[in-house]
Amino acid sequence: MSFLSSWSVIAIAAGLTVPPLVALYFLKLKRRVEPIPSTLLWKRAVQDLHVNAPFQKLRRNLLMLLQLLVLLLAAFALGKPILQAPRTHKGIVILMIDHSASMNVTEANGKTRLQIAKEQAKRVVDNLQGGTRAMMSEGDTRAMVVSFSDKATIVSSFDTDRAALKAKIDSIEPTQSRSTLSEAMALAEAHASNLVIAGEPVAPNVSASGSVLLFTDGRIEDAETLVSQRFRAQSIEIVNVAQRADNVGILAMEARRHYERPEQLEVFAEVRNFGPEPVELDATLIIEGRPADVQTVRLEAGLVTAPPQQAPKDEPTDDPAQAATAERDQDGSVRGSVKASVQERFGAPPPGSVAAVAFDDIIYEGGGVIEVRLQVDDALSADNRAWTVVQPPRSTDVLLVTDGNLFLERVLPTLPVRLTRMSPQEYESADDAEMLEATRSKYDVVIFDRHSTDRLPPGNYFFWGGVPDIEGVSAGEAIADEVIVNWDETHPVLRHVAVENIQVFQWSRLTLPSEVVHLMDGETSPVLAYLARDGRQYLICAFGLLVADEETQQPLLNTFWVTQTHFPMFVYNSVQYLSASLATRGLRNIHPGEPVMIPIADRASKIRVRRPDGSTDVVQTLGSDTVPYARTRTVGIYRSEPGIDGQDRFAVNLFSSSESNVAANDNFTIGADVIAGSGGIDTVNKPIWPYLLLAVLVIVLLEWVIYNKRVFV
Amino acid sequence: MGPAVEPVVATRMIQTDTDKAKELLDPEFMARLERLEIVSRKIFMGKMRGERRSKRRGESVEFADYRNYVVGDDLRFLDWNIYARLDRLFLKLFLEEEDLHVTVLIDTSKSMDWGSPNKLLYAKRIAAALAYIGLSNYDRVSLYTYANGIERELAGVRGKRLMSKVVQFLTGVEGDGVSNLGAACKQYAVRHPQPGVLLVLSDFLEKGGFEQGLRYLLGRNLDLYVVQILSQEELAPQLAGDLQLQDVEDDDVAEVTVSQALLNRYRQTLKAYCESLKEFCTRRGVAYLFTSTEVGFDQLVLSYLRQRGLLR
Repeated sequence: MSFLSSWSVIAIAAGLTVPPLVALYFLKLKRRVEPIPSTLLWKRAVQDLHVNAPFQKLRRNLLMLLQLLVLLLAAFALGKPILQAPRTHKGIVILMIDHSASMNVTEANGKTRLQIAKEQAKRVVDNLQGGTRAMMSEGDTRAMVVSFSDKATIVSSFDTDRAALKAKIDSIEPTQSRSTLSEAMALAEAHASNLVIAGEPVAPNVSASGSVLLFTDGRIEDAETLVSQRFRAQSIEIVNVAQRADNVGILAMEARRHYERPEQLEVFAEVRNFGPEPVELDATLIIEGRPADVQTVRLEAGLVTAPPQQAPKDEPTDDPAQAATAERDQDGSVRGSVKASVQERFGAPPPGSVAAVAFDDIIYEGGGVIEVRLQVDDALSADNRAWTVVQPPRSTDVLLVTDGNLFLERVLPTLPVRLTRMSPQEYESADDAEMLEATRSKYDVVIFDRHSTDRLPPGNYFFWGGVPDIEGVSAGEAIADEVIVNWDETHPVLRHVAVENIQVFQWSRLTLPSEVVHLMDGETSPVLAYLARDGRQYLICAFGLLVADEETQQPLLNTFWVTQTHFPMFVYNSVQYLSASLATRGLRNIHPGEPVMIPIADRASKIRVRRPDGSTDVVQTLGSDTVPYARTRTVGIYRSEPGIDGQDRFAVNLFSSSESNVAANDNFTIGADVIAGSGGIDTVNKPIWPYLLLAVLVIVLLEWVIYNKRVFV
Repeated sequence: MGPAVEPVVATRMIQTDTDKAKELLDPEFMARLERLEIVSRKIFMGKMRGERRSKRRGESVEFADYRNYVVGDDLRFLDWNIYARLDRLFLKLFLEEEDLHVTVLIDTSKSMDWGSPNKLLYAKRIAAALAYIGLSNYDRVSLYTYANGIERELAGVRGKRLMSKVVQFLTGVEGDGVSNLGAACKQYAVRHPQPGVLLVLSDFLEKGGFEQGLRYLLGRNLDLYVVQILSQEELAPQLAGDLQLQDVEDDDVAEVTVSQALLNRYRQTLKAYCESLKEFCTRRGVAYLFTSTEVGFDQLVLSYLRQRGLLR
């Protein structure tokens, strides 16, 4: 309840009337003196009466209290009180409910954001205009419920039954995935435009007759890039359910063995504070369930809310989304706050709020689950733990298939690997028994030097100047005089590799399938690519280290890379990457909701996947070598049974700065439109002073009755 | 029976008094009283011979009983006929006639001088009637007034001719002072140890409580009668509005706003108070009689007191 008039009106009205009334009551009543024989019985009677009357003290002043109530109610009525009732929606209403990881944050009232969002959504359903008729007609209000995280689900298609809609809303379960909106928006648009009522398609103009309500905390990864075809920004309401901001999360984690001493493990974790206060916390390294090391981390405040005025207005913007937003809006303050928001989202974190936690010199020769756990009580718990799976140290069996390559033959023996050398002819003619172990390749990594082949049992292959003879992969004519223009320096294969210094005289034009990961690209053709398919991994390099001279057929040096110090590093990275990750793509970092390929041992007909929460899924393999598994919405360690030793476990980690940053995002942008979020549902004002006056009338009548009865006073 | 006094003589005596005397007793009523006598439920020993059979075996002509002779008994009362027949000595016992102490204790506090008809006048009339009955039967009649203690007394009057003194005493009584039954009864009990019939006439509106006073009297071997007199103004008060009720005795003040609920509560309190007095008396063998001044006093004396067994 709020007041249209200021409080002073109420205060003045009450101040002018209440004290005189009380003063009148304090004036002593003049009583007529009446002599009687004895006051003995009268005093007893009065005493008895008071003792027996309930609330006797109150009743003694009942009239005064009633009159005070009348005065106060009248004073409140002068203040023009209003009641804020939720706005009723009509037409087509689409409720989109975020159930991503950050919606699991427990807010101050003890409810999670998802619970709050569901309650708010149910309030909207309660306030839908129109009744609950079984048959939809043209004028009815229809609501649709979509839940979204990394995927969107239609919880309820358009319906007028409020009870059913509310039951559907209640059925939305929390996930630990990231949140993306584009799929949900596309679903909602598709349903809204295909809505057919009584055989007639409804005009798909949602913005004219309905609205889209987005229940979220504003942390949506693809919000800026989202383009709404049908819904205008004006018809989208954001109901922002976020309040808490304190959160510390692990954004990255890796465990790897020391180059020279493989029994020694090095574990790194990137920890960031998103909250407004500096924190000091313990990061614990847990190996196979046993704490191995603890480090104290101090992080500065990560949430710096720059006031809009401080944002320089004339600073040129590099970010296209930001520039578009800023140009669109002429109001400086809005532009500034948008800028701050964009900076916060894309810019570097405040200094000191990110720390790299390194656990060195951990001696661990086994293979198992490595966990880093933050001992902190913050808003989101899903990002306080991160897992990875390490393999026991073992010397990698590498087969080099070459006619002679001085550089590879020199580099490989320096690595901690067991090297076998074959010529291409020997490789092609070797027996299966010599090459295979069970159905897989006997060698962990097979390196082909300028040799293409189709003899590729499940295993890991590195092609230098050749291609695997598989579908979609081919090498074309030679390209000379091009430079490497683009590369993915974050990929483990290219770590510590100065790609900008690599010069190659010529390479083959590669034709690759769309699922490859491009690691190095030339101007017109890929140079280095990674491909995982059917339990096999391929690193395909478009050039060989040596090329045959066109005239003399003598081997010539194709690149001076081999003379540089980071070449052995690259070879080591490649061998490690291929041998460690094996067939499970991205075993190091699977995000919640991402599918994973699980290798199957001995062609088992089905495998059981034990989930982090203890439940078990049974997956039919249909006789293939690997099986896709997509129920990875919970972070933690998943284990497949029966599994191939060393490949039976994989970790799912949140590792998302947009989900870990749980603070409310007040300036929500969809595409280029800024939509201010509200903390609740829109309300309308209802005056309540007539009810107050009615109450005054009733109380005056009551007071009159009591005065005439004179029973208790 | 003692010497009878002609009613005409008594009437004549009262006629010599002022009109106030007529207020107390009119001759016609006195004539009716002469046929009554005061009965004691207990038989007491008196000081003088009277017209009343005593518990004591004595020398009257009325035979009471025999008992075995023991050495030292008066040989004059041996029944020789029985000795001749049975050869055993028996002593003849005779009833002794004695007089009876009749005492009336009148509350003359200011609260008694209230009401219409006046409570004090009502009490005085009862006292006068009982005194006349007592005097008519040669009983020893004592009258005491009390307020905050024994105020006045007329002790040991005997014989109908002294009725004039009684009337004179009663006409001189006026309501004044604060009532204190306890103090008055204590004084009476200390000063008058002899048994007899005692009547207490009061409204019993005692702020200090009536129990202690009556206990003093119970300690004496008295045949106790308690008559509570209340006026119609006390039984059904005609009050209304915001009042400051002032106690006429001690100027105590009670502020009340009279409502139906309060009046109902007052009646309940009064009833409970009278019941408590009645119960107190009944439990201790004291005769309790409640009367309103609306009840005719002749009716009270001729009917109610006879029903209660005080008069015969």
